[in-house]
Amino acid sequence: MKKTTFVKILRLINNHKAALVFSFVMTVFSVACALYIPVLAGRAIDLISGKGSVDFSQLKPLLIKISAFAVSAGVFQWSSGLINNKLTLEIVRDIRNTATAKISRLPVSYIDSHPVGDTVSRIISDAEQFSEGLLLGFTNLFSGVLTIAGTLIFMMRVSLRITPVVVLLTPLSLLVARFVARKTHSMFMRQSEVRGRQTSLIDESIAGKKVISSYGSEKYFTDRFDEINEDFASSSLKAIFYSSITNPSTRFVNNIIFAFVALTGAITVMATGAMTVGGLSCFLAYAGRYAKPFNEISGVITELQNAFACSERIFDFIEAKESENTEKPGVEITGPKGQVSFENVSFSYIPGKKLITGLNLDVAPGSRIAIVGPTGCGKTTLINLLLRFYDPDEGTIRFDGTDIRDVPVSSLRLNYGMVLQDTWIKTASVRENIALASPGATDEEIKEAAKAAYAHSFISRLPDGYDTVISDASTEISHGQKQLICVARILLTNPAVVILDEATSSIDTRTELKIRNAFNLISEGKTCFTVAHRLGTIKNSDLILVMKDGDIVEKGTHEQLLDMHGFYEQLYNSRVT
Amino acid sequence: MRKILPYFAGSRLKGILAPLFKMAEAVSELIIPLIVAEMIDNGIANSDKRYIVLLGIQMIILGSIGLALSITAQYFAADTAVSTVKRLRHDVYTKIMGMSYSDYDKIGSANLITRMTADMDSVQNGINLTLRLLLRSPFVVAGAVIMSFRVDRSASMTYAVIVPVLAVIIITAMILSVSLFGKVRARLDRVLISVREYLTGTRVIRAFNIEDRQVEEFRSLNNGLTALQKAAGAVSSAVNPLTSTVVNIGIAALIYSGAVRVNAGLLTTGAVVALYNYMSQILVELIKFANLINSIVKSLACAKRISGVLSTEEHKPNTNETASAEGYINFKDVSFAYDGSSEYSVENISFEVGKNETVGIIGSTGSGKTTLMNLLCGNYKPEKGSISIDGASVFSAGFEKIKNRIAYVEQKPLLFTGTVRSNLTMGKEDISDEDIVKALRAAQAYEFVSERDGGIDCEVLQGGKNFSGGQRQRLAVARALCSKPDILILDDASSALDYYTDAKMRDAISEYGNSTVFIVSQRTSSILSADKIIVLENGKMEIGTHSELLKSSPVYREIHYSQFEEDEAI
Repeated sequence: MKKTTFVKILRLINNHKAALVFSFVMTVFSVACALYIPVLAGRAIDLISGKGSVDFSQLKPLLIKISAFAVSAGVFQWSSGLINNKLTLEIVRDIRNTATAKISRLPVSYIDSHPVGDTVSRIISDAEQFSEGLLLGFTNLFSGVLTIAGTLIFMMRVSLRITPVVVLLTPLSLLVARFVARKTHSMFMRQSEVRGRQTSLIDESIAGKKVISSYGSEKYFTDRFDEINEDFASSSLKAIFYSSITNPSTRFVNNIIFAFVALTGAITVMATGAMTVGGLSCFLAYAGRYAKPFNEISGVITELQNAFACSERIFDFIEAKESENTEKPGVEITGPKGQVSFENVSFSYIPGKKLITGLNLDVAPGSRIAIVGPTGCGKTTLINLLLRFYDPDEGTIRFDGTDIRDVPVSSLRLNYGMVLQDTWIKTASVRENIALASPGATDEEIKEAAKAAYAHSFISRLPDGYDTVISDASTEISHGQKQLICVARILLTNPAVVILDEATSSIDTRTELKIRNAFNLISEGKTCFTVAHRLGTIKNSDLILVMKDGDIVEKGTHEQLLDMHGFYEQLYNSRVT
Repeated sequence: MRKILPYFAGSRLKGILAPLFKMAEAVSELIIPLIVAEMIDNGIANSDKRYIVLLGIQMIILGSIGLALSITAQYFAADTAVSTVKRLRHDVYTKIMGMSYSDYDKIGSANLITRMTADMDSVQNGINLTLRLLLRSPFVVAGAVIMSFRVDRSASMTYAVIVPVLAVIIITAMILSVSLFGKVRARLDRVLISVREYLTGTRVIRAFNIEDRQVEEFRSLNNGLTALQKAAGAVSSAVNPLTSTVVNIGIAALIYSGAVRVNAGLLTTGAVVALYNYMSQILVELIKFANLINSIVKSLACAKRISGVLSTEEHKPNTNETASAEGYINFKDVSFAYDGSSEYSVENISFEVGKNETVGIIGSTGSGKTTLMNLLCGNYKPEKGSISIDGASVFSAGFEKIKNRIAYVEQKPLLFTGTVRSNLTMGKEDISDEDIVKALRAAQAYEFVSERDGGIDCEVLQGGKNFSGGQRQRLAVARALCSKPDILILDDASSALDYYTDAKMRDAISEYGNSTVFIVSQRTSSILSADKIIVLENGKMEIGTHSELLKSSPVYREIHYSQFEEDEAI
């Protein structure tokens, strides 16, 4: 546990100081009331000494007092519970909001280099576990410590002589619990290790069931599964059994304490009269309760350790270095023409491993640029540079003659529209998806855009038409149709430069034809970068960039490139056998 | 549930003994307040020190017996839970492996994985807890009530009021929390999707400058989640204070009615203390019980879902079908619709294929290409018509043997954790190193495999993620070739390869061995030299050679000329 993490958590809690104090006060009251009840009950029992000698005039108010304290203890306990809940839930809510707002300020390189699942789990599950740990900490730690202290005080008031019996014997139950926990830790580790192996076998063999069936390898996989299953059962049995010894053992220790208290108590009552029967029963009630908070506190400590570990992961994310290029004031681009130039640009993702070196490129407004080459990361790199998701290591990129570093990023990006292979569809209605970048668009405009993008007819056939909720994972619409929705998006924003990704084989040729027509529509009169897979379609481009392993290896028109007798020619000739 | 019960059979004795031992332990606990009462009434009253010590020793012995009983019970419970679920897991896994494709599609692989992992864990936990506590807690409560009635009937009437009140509190809280926590879960999923989309769509979101809207949307979802969680928390944090209050008031009532009885000379002081102690025990057990019910309700739901998997029909061949068809592969008037679909995916398909011919299949997405290939493999049963291979009707007993001679390579092939070798042999031991190398060479995969540490024994990580998409496709083709299939189906299996490598691979496959090859592709260049080409459009087919189809099929012409301009078409 890092000290700084602790300080950070304190700072978070500090915003809720008043609530924390209130919760603490409520806990003090509730514990005090709960602990006072056995004392009252003991006194009441002392009033019941025998036949005909019960003092009802004293007993009745005492019993009313017990009820009153019972109700107050309940009210106090519930209030502190409510406050603790509010406190922790709000802390987590704020952490999550901060973390999500942080995403916009992170450089794209951070998002690219950190698995999405990991970041999501920081913001969702780590935050969740942090809040649960914190809640348990507030609830059980407070009341646990107070209960222990309060019980000690009350016990000493009832009988100084028997208190040491309880105080000395109680740690026994703690020791037993600790001992068992330490022994079982390694068994749980082993269990989760085997579980991990089992889960990955289950994952891939179920996902690959059709492949396994088609090769008739069911038996091979079932045998492998059985082996792990056997292993898992035995490690699981050990972990479960040994950990389940804790409760009976601590209960046993408590029973012994109970017996000793009863024994010494009874003898005290008999021999000295320093204690009454009611006192004894009160004491027994305390002895039964004294051990419980110890167990709870030891549970809280592991819980808190886990919560701290989780909070560190969230803090790491929240404090990650932000990108420098967010909203720098600069001259906004007005009336964009769509001229783009690269001047001696060099770029690499990994320092020392050059990708693009000394690239010079001048793209006149309205010209068509094709990017070709085997599937790779080339096109992403170009987009990254054009839209300033990444900055070049050397050289300058200009938009309409202005260095793009002197333009506010939001103003720069608005001039680009892209439709990529890996479309991004938000979990929202088709309508919202089309109007993603233009929230002010009317239904009419949205429909117009969809019609122009050949999307209207299939959208109308969806169960709820334009209100059908779709997502990246939805199967109601095909990949090609998702691309058409993205085209409709761009039609609404009407940018000066478009970046288009031609369909590959995952889309059939007829949908592709529609996409190509839609592409022609949105790129009309605009500067257009097209990532091409079919060489037949790009011969008329103003400029063809041939990329290989991320770098631009050749550039020129179709004829110029064929004359070079290089990689382009090889590619062009290999498409027909 | 009825499907799950038989799995207890192997642990019947332990499964019965576990709760019995637990009850015995509870009995030992219930006796303790009686001993305390005895101490007070006879020990203290008669100043009999020896008797008190004796009673103290009795309490310790009783505690030890309780310990022994409960540890034994814990062992039996853990063993029953673990072995029962082990057997269940094995059967469900076997069931899934042998499941028909249509059932597999219907349930979905993600659900099946959850059945096998999280659901199984939950059932195991549920069985364990049930055996350990479900019988114990009501037993302790009932026992405490009975014992106190034995101590004194009229003073115990308080219980008749308290126990139902407590039951109502716990049940109400449970019902409320189950529904509230369900809502919390659902909302949490939305919050999670929102973050995930923000991350996966970060380029689009930034390009459109809509970061603020995305953050705002998250904020409102998240704030809604917090409000729901507060409501759920309010309910669950009320249970403890409420029950304690009721029990404490019950104690006051108990003392009062006890006092009346003592005053009348009908009850001893010790008995009142015993009654008081029983009430405390009930409180402790109730809290445990309330916590337990939640997990049991959850694991029952999981058990139900697992039963669903177990009750799917066995995939059995239909033995009384024979076919005397011409040609090696014969489709006769085949029509097929997927479950729940009113339209045929493929309709009136008829064609013949001779041995070792190459067949190209082309058509748009959703035109039925993959369906057709699945029908050929006997993965789905056609609604109309008949399919036969080498004289055996698909779904007949004789077909099973032929089925294993078909190799199917999909567009997004799956590789398994292990080595290149284990992925190519798929557990078959009769495949030699030469076979593997030969297959890798033909699939244009030998070069990159041999560059890796260990060559053909190099590691394959989960999902083959240490290989690129194109490399995975080539490994899958090699896997198919390794099984020396009679029929090889390449379902868009080279889409990630460049034209050059694709062409080289197709040449190598045609020289590789005696197989009837089906090539499903989007590229006419991949299939134009095939012996036959099937063009699919909305489930209906046309068949011919490349040049025939160029003349006769407008669909084929459209596809072809969209890839090659007319003047350069071959």
